[in-house]
Amino acid sequence: MNEKVHFLTRPELHTPTMVVGWTMDAGRLGRRVTDYLVRKLGGQAFCEIEPADFFPLNGVAIVNDIVFFPESRFYACPEKDLVVFLSTPPSYEWYQFLSLILDVAQDYCHVREIYTVGSMIAMGAHTARRQFFSTMGSPELKMELSRYDLTRETDFETPPGGRPTLNSFFLWVAKRRGIPSANLWIPIPFYLVSADDPEAYRGVLDFLSDRLNLGFDLADLDEQAGLQNERIDHIRAAQPEIDSIIGKLERGLRLSEGEGEKLAKEVGDFLREAGD
Amino acid sequence: MGWAVGIILHSEPELEQPDMIVGWPGIGNIGVLTVDTLRQQIEAEELGEIEPWDYFYPNKVIIRGSVLHDLEFPTSKFYYKRLANRDLLLFIGEEQPSGHGRMYAEGGKAYEMANRVLDVAEKFGCRRIYTSGAAVALTHHSLRSRVWAVATEKRLLAEMKGYANTLLMSEVEGRGDVGNITGLNGLLIGVAKKRGFEGVCLMGEIPDYLSRVPFPYPKASQSVLEMLAAILGVEVDMSALSDMTAQMEGVINNVFRQFPSEVRDRIDQRRREAQPGMITEEDEKWIKEHIDDFFHREDGDKGQ
Repeated sequence: MNEKVHFLTRPELHTPTMVVGWTMDAGRLGRRVTDYLVRKLGGQAFCEIEPADFFPLNGVAIVNDIVFFPESRFYACPEKDLVVFLSTPPSYEWYQFLSLILDVAQDYCHVREIYTVGSMIAMGAHTARRQFFSTMGSPELKMELSRYDLTRETDFETPPGGRPTLNSFFLWVAKRRGIPSANLWIPIPFYLVSADDPEAYRGVLDFLSDRLNLGFDLADLDEQAGLQNERIDHIRAAQPEIDSIIGKLERGLRLSEGEGEKLAKEVGDFLREAGD
Repeated sequence: MGWAVGIILHSEPELEQPDMIVGWPGIGNIGVLTVDTLRQQIEAEELGEIEPWDYFYPNKVIIRGSVLHDLEFPTSKFYYKRLANRDLLLFIGEEQPSGHGRMYAEGGKAYEMANRVLDVAEKFGCRRIYTSGAAVALTHHSLRSRVWAVATEKRLLAEMKGYANTLLMSEVEGRGDVGNITGLNGLLIGVAKKRGFEGVCLMGEIPDYLSRVPFPYPKASQSVLEMLAAILGVEVDMSALSDMTAQMEGVINNVFRQFPSEVRDRIDQRRREAQPGMITEEDEKWIKEHIDDFFHREDGDKGQ
């Protein structure tokens, strides 16, 4: 197909759906969603994009003594006719990189539709109901997905000085190729950005399970979300100031810069330690 | 109308050996401001563009009713104009195709972009390419910017030296006879030479202490445009650039007032002497170190 794409196996797929996630997004949403799909559906890696043209390979990143190397891998879950793609966001040659993903999706897998998963940093409390957002590549797909709880009418333009997300770029390339695609967006409370947010990935997986007939019961994620909430309750009980700050968020009040920083640090540190 | 891979031409006007004038953003946005002002003044018509997605990350997404409506990229557009005594092609790039985390284009993408621009030049029978950019100089912001010229062949240097307020790069005090032009405004001239075009790069002087400040320096653009107008034999109304220069003067004076007084004194010496060459090497080094300290301190403050 292309020397930049390396096939490990050639699984048999029949017009599958593809789910795309990126490492390094807020609340580790992309990784958690794609890991869950691959684990629960017995997915196997079948293809990789070679990193040389897309990442600065001038050394290797180390985080907490662990080596991190860019990954861009496709997984096949033939039983449910699903393809999962998880990647480090490329540092350059974005169009070429996104085109390679779609070459595999279109020319080899013959996908019928694609969903990207992305998180949005939100100022709300973790106890508030997470409202899904989505952007569709076409009015037809919007109509098709109208029966799910994810199609709010959204108008948006990137403000001056900003840049669109990689998922928006992906959606645009997919649209040019005529592949039905949608970006799924889940808000992550800002103080959970560096930790996990099981409530958020539960929401995405609930939609995907319903849409793709995956049959997940998600009780394990309910349990994780419950445990996370208990941990935060524990901090609230131990630190009245944190309780008061989260209380302000729950009442829809604005936080001062200092309050926001304190909440993010205290909750982030606590959850990371508890997670370890 | 499709023409070549990655280039879209909206029309194919008959042009007679046009010159091409090219500008990309860079230090002080001197080149792009020069070419864009010329484009407006001569009312050049849009001719086409280079497809952007292979070179740039998008700069705007537009979503309507939850459906992706459009994605916008930095533009790289061609314009043309038939003047009384010659035809012109203009190219204006909104951004240099950066990659690999660098400010200026370099490597494969930059070379590819330079070749796309010259493909259009070749198609329309261009004989000469002009680029424009910044000359970081030991000058003062109250002084008129001079224009430094380099070219692909000696014959052109002699021609350029004939214009007022112009000097060759090698004639700049203390520079010696080697130098470098960073980014596409420089690279294009190199690729032009390789492909057999005549090429000239005109650089407007910007004071060294303003080269890291993120705003335009229209005074230098005005000097370059005056020279281009003389070369092309066109009347160009400089009032827009003069107004902009006057406006920026206030901004620059504000920045300048924040420099430590001993730095200001040494820089002001340049104005009194009005001969940048009179600055000693020690002075130059001292000012550079203190300006760098000043901007590092400013950057640090912003981060808090």
